[in-house]
Amino acid sequence: MGEKKIHEDQKYINGLLQNNSFIIQAIYDKFVPKVVNYIKQNSGSSAEAQDVIQDTIMTIYNQASQKSLQLTCPFDAYFFLLCKRKWLNELKKSSNKEVTINEEVLSKDDEAHELAFETSVFGEKQALFTEMFAKLGDACKDLLKATFKTKSMEDVAKSLGVTYAYARKKKSLCIGKLTELVRNSPKFNQIKM
Amino acid sequence: MEDEKYIQFEAYLANELSEVEQEAFENQLKNDADFNEAFQTYKSLNQFLDYKFNNEDASAAFKTNLEGISNTYFNKEEASAEKPKSFNFYKYAVAACVVALLGFFVLNQFSTPTFSDFNNYDTISLTVRGENDDLLNTAETAFNTKDFVKAEEAFSALLKLDETNAEYKLYKAISNIELSHFETAEALLNEVKNGNSVYKNKAIWYLGLSQLKQENFKACIAILKTIPEDAEDYKRAQKLIKKLD
Repeated sequence: MGEKKIHEDQKYINGLLQNNSFIIQAIYDKFVPKVVNYIKQNSGSSAEAQDVIQDTIMTIYNQASQKSLQLTCPFDAYFFLLCKRKWLNELKKSSNKEVTINEEVLSKDDEAHELAFETSVFGEKQALFTEMFAKLGDACKDLLKATFKTKSMEDVAKSLGVTYAYARKKKSLCIGKLTELVRNSPKFNQIKM
Repeated sequence: MEDEKYIQFEAYLANELSEVEQEAFENQLKNDADFNEAFQTYKSLNQFLDYKFNNEDASAAFKTNLEGISNTYFNKEEASAEKPKSFNFYKYAVAACVVALLGFFVLNQFSTPTFSDFNNYDTISLTVRGENDDLLNTAETAFNTKDFVKAEEAFSALLKLDETNAEYKLYKAISNIELSHFETAEALLNEVKNGNSVYKNKAIWYLGLSQLKQENFKACIAILKTIPEDAEDYKRAQKLIKKLD
């Protein structure tokens, strides 16, 4: 990634990171109409388009703030591909809808495709993690929350009234439990990690 | 066993393993795919949880802002999606009118004129004489209401009573053109044309129209050219010639 030239549209990614309303508005004005048209032409409603777009922007925001996202292609192409992929997945989920996927013939090394693929995998992973975290027992949830919020394991141990060693062990076992939940989910193998 | 594995993951990520332990751990990562997958997942989850719990506020603030802009945008979109119906209706209505008007003029200008462009006769009024009133009335009404079958019959009857009446001949001829009895019509019109009545030139005009209806455009032009300049129909004859040429 380091060698690749960062596209000037990186300003949109940076704007999202800064929660810059002006940039978010610009994304809606410039890039959203195309997506809405696409979804409407492919058996979607305006409301469905709104959800897909909102989720997509949220995913971009999460990836950018968690992993640093460097745009090496125009935002337009990247954003459209992401929304399109998300919508086609939605269609697949509701099996009663006919799905015709007309993937444009583009070379595999196409920057936009690569980047969009990366982001959508990230998004799917996030969704799976969130879903599995909800399945954890309350004890684990509370411990993990305390651990990550407080940073210092000593303070966590103190606040929970347990020893440092026990808190550390508990933390790794809780994440271990979560790891198993994730790996045993049928969705896990569908997502290319 | 499994528990030990996760405790080891945690220790490795916290950089708390001894050099030997670390080397062994890294070797296992390379050689044991299942171990590697478990570790990568554990690591990703660690990052995920760290982010989740430490960016809750920023993330929630972003989401709220995003939802606000999104709702405004889509409400507007819905509103504007409804408006264009009426807006477009007027636009299309205006466009349709323009096209219709243009079409009207263009067709008038360039299309070949037809008989039906000229068969709007002025209302005739024959009932001034006092005799044969009923028959005249019938003829007049039939002609004015474009009932040319009845009109033809009535004018034929009138001509039996008044064989030389040029006016009757003319209207009988027109009725015959309408009924596409061109021979009868033209025989009558030629009689009128060769006579000395005021309907002389009118007869030439209708001889022309008879040819027009039969789509003999050359014959029509030839006939129309014989209409003298002082005739009532001269101007429209010239226009028709121009269009046919």
